[in-house]
Amino acid sequence: MEIKSTRHNMRGMVPFLRCVGIIVFLLWFGNISMAQWTPAYTIKNGNMVIILGKDIRESALDSFIGKFELFDLDLKNFVKTHKSDSLNKLGWNVQSDKELGYLLTKPLVSNKNINYANPETKIMLTEKASFAERFPIVSSRVKFGYNRFRNKFPFAIKDSFVTFFLKGNLDAKRVSLAGSFNDWVPESWFMKKTDSGWIYNVKLSVGKFWYKFLINGNWTTDRDNLLVENDGLGNDNSVYFKPNRLFTLKGFTDAKKVVLSGSFNDWKANELVMNKTADGWQLAIYLADGTHTYRYVIDGKWVEDPDNPDHYPNEWGEYNSVIRVGKAYIFKLDGFLDAKQVVLSGSFNKWRRNELFMKKTSTGWEFPYTLGPGNYEYKFIIDDKFEAHPGNVNVKNGAGGNLYFVIEPNYTFRLKGFPNAKKVYLTGDFNNWSPNTFAMTREGDEWIFAANLQPGKHTYKFVVDGKWIIDPGNKLWEQNEFGTGNSVLWLGQ
Amino acid sequence: MNPLSGNKIFYWSLFLIAVAMVKSQTSLASPGSGDSLMIGNITIPAISSFEAPNDSISCVLPFSRAGNLILIRAKADSTEGNFILDTGSPTLVLNLTYFRHYTTTVRTDAEEGGMNGTGAPVQETTVKEFTIGPIVYRRTVANLVNLGHIENSKGVKVFGLLGMKLFRQFEMIIDYDRNLIYLHKIAKKEEKTYMHEMLQDSTSYKTYAIDLYNDKILARTELAGRKLRLMIDFAAETNVLDSRLPDIIFQNIAISRRVILNGIGGQKVEALYGDLSNMKLGDDPIRTLPVLVTNLSNTCLSYEFCIDGILGFDFLSLHKIGFNFVNRKMYIWK
Repeated sequence: MEIKSTRHNMRGMVPFLRCVGIIVFLLWFGNISMAQWTPAYTIKNGNMVIILGKDIRESALDSFIGKFELFDLDLKNFVKTHKSDSLNKLGWNVQSDKELGYLLTKPLVSNKNINYANPETKIMLTEKASFAERFPIVSSRVKFGYNRFRNKFPFAIKDSFVTFFLKGNLDAKRVSLAGSFNDWVPESWFMKKTDSGWIYNVKLSVGKFWYKFLINGNWTTDRDNLLVENDGLGNDNSVYFKPNRLFTLKGFTDAKKVVLSGSFNDWKANELVMNKTADGWQLAIYLADGTHTYRYVIDGKWVEDPDNPDHYPNEWGEYNSVIRVGKAYIFKLDGFLDAKQVVLSGSFNKWRRNELFMKKTSTGWEFPYTLGPGNYEYKFIIDDKFEAHPGNVNVKNGAGGNLYFVIEPNYTFRLKGFPNAKKVYLTGDFNNWSPNTFAMTREGDEWIFAANLQPGKHTYKFVVDGKWIIDPGNKLWEQNEFGTGNSVLWLGQ
Repeated sequence: MNPLSGNKIFYWSLFLIAVAMVKSQTSLASPGSGDSLMIGNITIPAISSFEAPNDSISCVLPFSRAGNLILIRAKADSTEGNFILDTGSPTLVLNLTYFRHYTTTVRTDAEEGGMNGTGAPVQETTVKEFTIGPIVYRRTVANLVNLGHIENSKGVKVFGLLGMKLFRQFEMIIDYDRNLIYLHKIAKKEEKTYMHEMLQDSTSYKTYAIDLYNDKILARTELAGRKLRLMIDFAAETNVLDSRLPDIIFQNIAISRRVILNGIGGQKVEALYGDLSNMKLGDDPIRTLPVLVTNLSNTCLSYEFCIDGILGFDFLSLHKIGFNFVNRKMYIWK
């Protein structure tokens, strides 16, 4: 009887509680009317406030989550189940009303480690988020690039000369061109006036360049060039890629859209839209040295290049077309003549296990592969088993150390002393801090390793018989998150 | 017997010379300079001044940029390189990586808008000669801080930060279009009269009063009838607003997204980006500004006063902008 009575009482309480809830809501939001119960994100009394209407549509919720980057809150699940446990764990206070919807609040708290009075904190926290992403300190090698002009054709290229063109501005008294190709010397390369704009011929090798125009002495980016970038040393600059590869697809003239997609742009299916020509499609892009795989996406359908016989198998039992830029190297594995198959897998092909099938020779296995300058790690997969290369020092370490090689080393790390050390490795941002891959060799009274480094800042350490140390011969070091410091090296600055 | 023996005369002479030195040094020190140097028992105020303090010095320096930060070449003793113009920092800051060999004293962080705001010790050193173009500062006090994160993010070598104390006696005009900074050290005799020739045509720019407090530049801004104390800071790429401001302020902000900010120590805190409308600078409305909304209570402790926010590159880069820190004026070109 008691239980029944309680239930009855609780039922009676529901409308009352709902009224209280509504009153609390209205007290919170004072002047917010019912009409405003569309999803909203506001600040009130130092709190973040999220308002979700009761009948919010899934598409509206998706768009709300995407707009405010609220993916971690799992609001879809909350609206579906009305369970607020996970939101509570994230510090959100949840009030809900069956008639109105949901009110989520969370105070914008301070954190003693995040203080804008600290100049480093302030500079880091107020920086434009995209900058660090666009210009990472390591691995900044440009894999590919393409030009995006509007209102004008891409710059004409004849022999090795590129004709830079500034459209219009015919009233200007003088126009000059400056860029990374002439050390940004202003008012030195004066452009020639034509009937539609201004031109200047520049001899360029392939690659990426930054430039600006000076119109009557005033710096301006190329307004008809959609590629604008801050190079970290100056203001926004226009970007020009001198292409080295013309991708051509014959036929398919009835197709609405053809896109080039490949390993160089992480297989993005909407980025490199090809231009229609009289008998097909084409796109000129810059590709860095190395081996690249690609396919065409013709009105959404993925196909390999019908005119390119060079291809590698992919994970769907089909083939990706292959394009090679630069010098080929031959990977060799001696012996293992009884093996049925040997696959080459490395950092250069994202450790794919089904792509680079080696060819058997009379003495072992080999595979030619084109690569640009860099530090690479790899392994051989012999009959589906990883097997390290015989004769390599890392074979014996048993710690998963990969084989490695360096193309065009441009800096030699040196560690003096430690004559009795058994193993010394170099580790740093350039090899993902692998502690047992870059084995240093003893030369005179030093341990040395020659690596290929990009211009810019690098941090590194030595691992001497398992102990991580900063470079005793380099006075430059900075603190790391472990409080043990990393040596600092700048190349080219 | 002569009441002044030889020894007494000698000691009195020493005392008078010392007093004269102190007076002379004090007159050279920049206003409000609080740092000091001990020689024996005599405390001599530290100097952030010039070889010829009563003379004016003018120069035009090109600057480059790291992201949206202004990089100016300067030389600390024998080490020359890029320094970030940081008007939000009170003092000269040196990157520990390149100045680790300097002798330091440890000061508990309390004054002058301390570096950490947490009472953590700050390493302090003295640069014998610090030069920016033709401008020479002698025995300048500097804080030593690890600026490695900024280098990693920007991809450029950063030797330090040029704090506000270096410019207190200056007129400074920054031309973002031409990447030039015009500096003029205002001599005492020209304090009331000096004005750069670019300021002769008063129709080309507008003048606004600013306040200087604890080596912070404060703009006089107003929003929804409330005065806001916003610090002008060239080393902040985005504008910042304190989340603890009254609700009426946030009725003028359209939130655009939520972000998780990572502190240097790896700790995280939530903040919001939004667009701020209807703010006035002096009597003039200014256009909608992007702002980062976050809790600034820590800065109150560090600065010993509360700021309501920061005006950074998003505001400053709209214009050619100038300051006379002596007469406390800001010039914004139209």
